[in-house]
Amino acid sequence: MATQEALTKGLALPRLIAIVVILAMWQALALSGLLFRDVVPPLEALVVGFVGVLISPDFYANLAITFAELLAALAGGGLAGLVVGLCLGASRFASKAFEPWLGYLGPTPKIILFPLLILMFGVGVESKMAMGAVSCFFPIAISVAAGVRGVDPVLLKVGRSFRARLDQMLIKIYLPAMIAPLLNGARLGFGVALIGVLLAETKLSKQGLGFMVMDAYQRFDMPRMYGLLIVSVGIAAVVNIVLEHLAIQAGHKKPTKH
Amino acid sequence: MSAPLLSVDGVTRRFGPETCGVLAVDNMSFDVRQGEFVSIIGPSGCGKSTLFSMLGGLLPPTSGRIAVEGDVITGPHPAVGMVFQEESCLPWRSVIDNVAFPLELEGIGKSERHDRAQHFVELVGLHGFEKRHPAELSGGMRQRVCIARTLAAKPRLLLMDEPFAALDEQTRLLLGDKVLQIQQELHQTTLLITHSITEAVQLSDRILVMTYRPGRLKRIVEVHLPRPRNADVVTSPEFGATVAEIWSDLREEASRGMAASEVS
Amino acid sequence: MSRLLPPAFGVLCIVALLCLLQLAIQAGIVDVYIVPLPTDMLASLPRLVEEEHVIRRFGVTFGETLSAGLLALVVGVALGMALQHWPRMRRAFEPWFALLAAAPLVMAYPLFLVLFGRSSLTIIVIAFASALAPVVLKTIEGFATIRPVLIDVGHSLRMTRAQEFRLILLPAALPEIFVGLRLALIFALINVVGVEFLINLGGLGQLISELSERYDLPGTWASIGLVVIVSILFFLLLDGGERWLRKRH
Repeated sequence: MATQEALTKGLALPRLIAIVVILAMWQALALSGLLFRDVVPPLEALVVGFVGVLISPDFYANLAITFAELLAALAGGGLAGLVVGLCLGASRFASKAFEPWLGYLGPTPKIILFPLLILMFGVGVESKMAMGAVSCFFPIAISVAAGVRGVDPVLLKVGRSFRARLDQMLIKIYLPAMIAPLLNGARLGFGVALIGVLLAETKLSKQGLGFMVMDAYQRFDMPRMYGLLIVSVGIAAVVNIVLEHLAIQAGHKKPTKH
Repeated sequence: MSAPLLSVDGVTRRFGPETCGVLAVDNMSFDVRQGEFVSIIGPSGCGKSTLFSMLGGLLPPTSGRIAVEGDVITGPHPAVGMVFQEESCLPWRSVIDNVAFPLELEGIGKSERHDRAQHFVELVGLHGFEKRHPAELSGGMRQRVCIARTLAAKPRLLLMDEPFAALDEQTRLLLGDKVLQIQQELHQTTLLITHSITEAVQLSDRILVMTYRPGRLKRIVEVHLPRPRNADVVTSPEFGATVAEIWSDLREEASRGMAASEVS
Repeated sequence: MSRLLPPAFGVLCIVALLCLLQLAIQAGIVDVYIVPLPTDMLASLPRLVEEEHVIRRFGVTFGETLSAGLLALVVGVALGMALQHWPRMRRAFEPWFALLAAAPLVMAYPLFLVLFGRSSLTIIVIAFASALAPVVLKTIEGFATIRPVLIDVGHSLRMTRAQEFRLILLPAALPEIFVGLRLALIFALINVVGVEFLINLGGLGQLISELSERYDLPGTWASIGLVVIVSILFFLLLDGGERWLRKRH
């Protein structure tokens, strides 16, 4: 892997310089007194805030609640997305009739549905789960439908020629052949579900990471708020990148055709 | 003489409406007897692949009747095994799991199906590659995996649709040799669809020549080369004579096909 | 005829669903204090236009979306071209922009509130920040995927660097840059409406927030429907624009 090495060589220096310049500018701005107190806290205060977040038991309790909401959202929205996606992928008629709606509803901002979800599911964790589920339904349904259509037709003929039953076709042909689009759907779904859950928590909630951010904002505890934002944005970005990596690897296992 | 293994009777397939659709296969009738190796040859676009799909039960004929062991086909039949023209290994399975696939569908336990699959992996000469994935194999090896997989289902009739079409000439000849050897070892009744005259003559007892669009049966050629054969048979004078005989039949159809494809 | 059948069936299904909902509410199966009658939602539309200044709100939301999207286009294309110009910089920082594109920046809206106050500026900055990374990535992709033979043509004609850029590189990269612009506007709209709703300020997003806080159920449902329709029209327009540009290319 000599080429790989050549490609990554010499990248550390510009990155390091960029980090140092950004941090220095931040610190200068913080110490300049141009902005209101703590709006841009000095770096040492940020570190204190970040560590303070990580060592508080409060943070883990709320993280667990957000995580539970997220899992329920992914389970509900993901299952619905999988079923709808499979149906749309299997029927050309259904795809033409309903998929444009999915495609255009997908990118609309889901958070505006939150008032309706509060009406239906109350102000507790259920409405946040519903928010996340509605958010992740669309990208998952769309990727699954595209995944079904992307399955090499000859593999379906193989399954049929060996007289596979419907469940065998699904488990032994469709799902393994669709692993890359499935992972991609999971990645997109996870991202939007997390945003949906967290935003819903900031709008109206008494618990969860989003609530903590809002709480810190209202008490004007800026270092704590920065710490919470770094953690939550960081989690979302890291999971996104890991799942993308997995999806690309799964894509590589396929033969060179396509 | 016993009843034919496969009997095709007045089979027609039309795509699209009666008036303006395409007539892909027109009123074809023939039989394949137990233990026979039959090739169907014709220019590209003559409806060979449509016929293949119908024989495999993947596509219903517009009219006519296809029967295997006297049993009229309404869908994929357990006595028929298919090898496809396209790359058809399951890319997420290793060689052995690909070959064991039909046994797995039947619900046979893991160790038994692996034992049975192993025999067919060795038969096609892939011993030592059991754990590899298709992406790590050459095109010829992948096609052998597919042949082994279909044989593992123990079909009484093996259908192959231009299985060597995507391979280079040398690999084709050697694979043809392999198919001959397998066929002689298993006495496997085989129907091969091809557009290669040499391949058809090298392998077959009988060759059905098809016309270009609509696909009809033009002629049946008996191949009187002695068995057992191997790849060397291509150097014999009888071989050349048979090839020439078929070429004279096929030339007219191929040029009709070529003219049609240049117009469209 | 047969091409129009499936979409028509889709529309029909949705209309049928609404009718069914109407019947279910009237029969008391669905609680009218959760889902108001679809006819009431329709009836509240004129009220929204007159009393809630929907037209002016459109203007505010579109103004914010357009400002953020165009700002992201200008800054993003400039950044993308700069990164493309220095390959080492590109290799060093392209992953950073991929990370930025994956980060849910809208989450940080309380932070932007602190920095820029409760004003349109906050909304525009958040939308700009979310739209920037896709433009940068698409610009880089546009220049990186130019067929080398086109550059050879430029060399063989002994063009100057300026000519090469103006006559070859820029036109070849343009389609991808337009994809970037489309993404920028979509991201901007989503974030603008979302943040308007969350901080209860400005255009269409605020309308939903206000009506729901007043427990005006038919109004809330109708305004949500309105925002969804506006977004869909906006996406359709952008799609059409991109197709038109691609055809000319």
